[in-house]
Amino acid sequence: MRVRRILSGLFIASYLCWLSWGIGAHVMKVGLSGNTLGYYVVWDMFCGWQAYDNRIHILAEGISGQFYEVRAPWGEFTPFGNVARVHYDVTNQLIPKQIHHVLKNSSHEPIDRVYVVQEIWPKQYNIPQELWARYSEEPMDKMSYFNLRAICSDRGNLLNSYPDWYAAQTLKAVADNPRLQMTANKATPFYDTFIKPNRGQETRTSEFVSTSSGQLSTN
Amino acid sequence: MAREQTKSTLGGRLREFFFAEQSPYGMALVRMFLPSVAMIPMVRRFPHVRELFSSEGTPQPLFELFGQTNPFPLLSPPLAASLYGLMMFGMLCVVLGWRTRLSLCVAVPLYIYFNLLDSVGTMTKYTVIASHILLLLTLSNCGAVWSVDALLKKRTLGQNATAIPPVFPVWPARLTQFLFCFIYFGAAITKIQTESFFTGEQMRYWMLSNWNYSNPVGEQMAMWTPLLLAGAYFTVVWEIVFAFLVWRPGSRLIMLGLGAFFHFMTWLTLGLYIFPLICLSGYLSYVTESDIVRIRRLIRRVKLPTKWLAYPRELVVRAVEARPASVPVLASYLVVAALSAVSAAEVEYRLDAYGLLANNGPLPLKTVDSQVALAMIRDKTPVREKDKYFSFEIGKHLLGGQLADRCSEYEFGDVVVAQCNLNPPHEDLWVECLLQDEQKRTFEQSGQFVTRDMLYANFYYHFGNALVPGKYFVVLRSSGKEIYRRTLYLRGDPASVPEMNEMMTN
Repeated sequence: MRVRRILSGLFIASYLCWLSWGIGAHVMKVGLSGNTLGYYVVWDMFCGWQAYDNRIHILAEGISGQFYEVRAPWGEFTPFGNVARVHYDVTNQLIPKQIHHVLKNSSHEPIDRVYVVQEIWPKQYNIPQELWARYSEEPMDKMSYFNLRAICSDRGNLLNSYPDWYAAQTLKAVADNPRLQMTANKATPFYDTFIKPNRGQETRTSEFVSTSSGQLSTN
Repeated sequence: MAREQTKSTLGGRLREFFFAEQSPYGMALVRMFLPSVAMIPMVRRFPHVRELFSSEGTPQPLFELFGQTNPFPLLSPPLAASLYGLMMFGMLCVVLGWRTRLSLCVAVPLYIYFNLLDSVGTMTKYTVIASHILLLLTLSNCGAVWSVDALLKKRTLGQNATAIPPVFPVWPARLTQFLFCFIYFGAAITKIQTESFFTGEQMRYWMLSNWNYSNPVGEQMAMWTPLLLAGAYFTVVWEIVFAFLVWRPGSRLIMLGLGAFFHFMTWLTLGLYIFPLICLSGYLSYVTESDIVRIRRLIRRVKLPTKWLAYPRELVVRAVEARPASVPVLASYLVVAALSAVSAAEVEYRLDAYGLLANNGPLPLKTVDSQVALAMIRDKTPVREKDKYFSFEIGKHLLGGQLADRCSEYEFGDVVVAQCNLNPPHEDLWVECLLQDEQKRTFEQSGQFVTRDMLYANFYYHFGNALVPGKYFVVLRSSGKEIYRRTLYLRGDPASVPEMNEMMTN
């Protein structure tokens, strides 16, 4: 009985410490990166939403030039409503697997390459038509923007990737400033791979460093 | 005297708090409700076991999302389906309270395993909460009352059985209660750290995201940002004080009632179903022995029939008792468990997840018109000026910086507040607001810089006596383009307001 109580006490203490650690780590933003178990004690259910809605389109181009929609022909699984699972893949880790999986289990001509395209539209167009009419004097004029995100092989291997639409818009907004552009151009960052300062310090000169094979070292 | 002294010390109070002995009615209620709710999404996923959780599908383990190696094996479809069937059987047994602890020991690791395998379409914070509570149920004596186990025990004891319910240390219920305090406190911190949460824009965009189930009330509410702003403050205050007030007898019901209201609203406005149900199931851990006594008295007074509630477990008891006398109860449990696993594998195979059996081979991919595909791939269209703006409204009052009303009728002396809401990310903008008459002649034009960090901008017009009653327009212009036009009617007598200085604009 006593042992049971001691074990229970230890469990209670450990469990409360674990929960407290989660709160502390979340507040201070430490110790959570690369820590899967941290997901179990961080309560970030509401961590922000974007002004634009987005969906992912995966388009395969066959060797004949015909395009195919890389969507499960047996029916897509919609986990939380009527949006297919692949659209919830915010980290883009599932998409390569999905490409390979759908192409492996469907019939089609040999595939040359696969394009991953983001479709984006402002969220105000998600408002039902009658609600829009009640609050707006203009007709609803929804337009989607498409952004090529990646080009992959038929096995889902990444061949080329392009900036995310949101990141691109933010960068454009920042870059839309001639003074900032000029300053940035003047201060192009670089990393010297030719001169090794510590070698120069020893001999009081800077010198090029070459490896025994005659190729320049990166460090 | 010695006992009172023990109670008054911190250690004594902690012991009393965690190790006081009570009948586990609260945890028994959690045992019946939480697995039932947690199983709804899992049952929906059963036809997709091959795709979501097996080596022949596209599982996306949570560990990989965190850059770690997935320590769990990816099983072949028949094995994955068998274990999935076993998990569902285990959860059903937990609800009924048949071999409760064994069932929890089987079902909970499998539930956590399957959730960890699909971080994209299965793992969410509600599955995390469910995992925590299921773990605490495993350590509790939740099967001691209102269960098949309790009924079987009663029948075994026969005349020696007592009507007094068994009592156990209350700490598993206490930890479940603590869990909710941590959840809400952590959620409040997240909201405090989230930019533009307290101006309502974040909630508005969430309500207009169709990522959950249908939420028509949320779409209506999204048009009233001040309401969201008030809701944001209410939520954060409640989430913080919950951890401190839920323990006090005087405020316990208020805190839980507000919690139930909050979760009800997440269903109504955000289209969440399972999350609120999981949390409300967890709230049952706050039910105490004395609450049950009160509820029983009430039921007796209103003569509510409750006998039928015991039918499912009585049915199981009868089935268990119908087994040959030489077969132990545990053996019959194991046989049914094995049957569930095998049946699940067979059903999963017959469901033909990829349509290979029904079509004698793989299904064809849908073709896309090349023009359409190339237009999508090569699209470089810049964002239209009007898409940088979420809305443009006119009204009379502001609340927390947001337009509190919409209005199209004004009188002399009124102030028109015109507000444009912007969609981030946007560049620094020069936004103009114009006042025009019916012939589209501009009477007044004002502008302001709206920098990239701003989510809304306000313009004000005071109706002096320089105008005449009639129809007017408030026009929003950005980059020289007309974006929105709102109509207003000016009524009344211009002489009702003092004459304006000619230097003034209107």
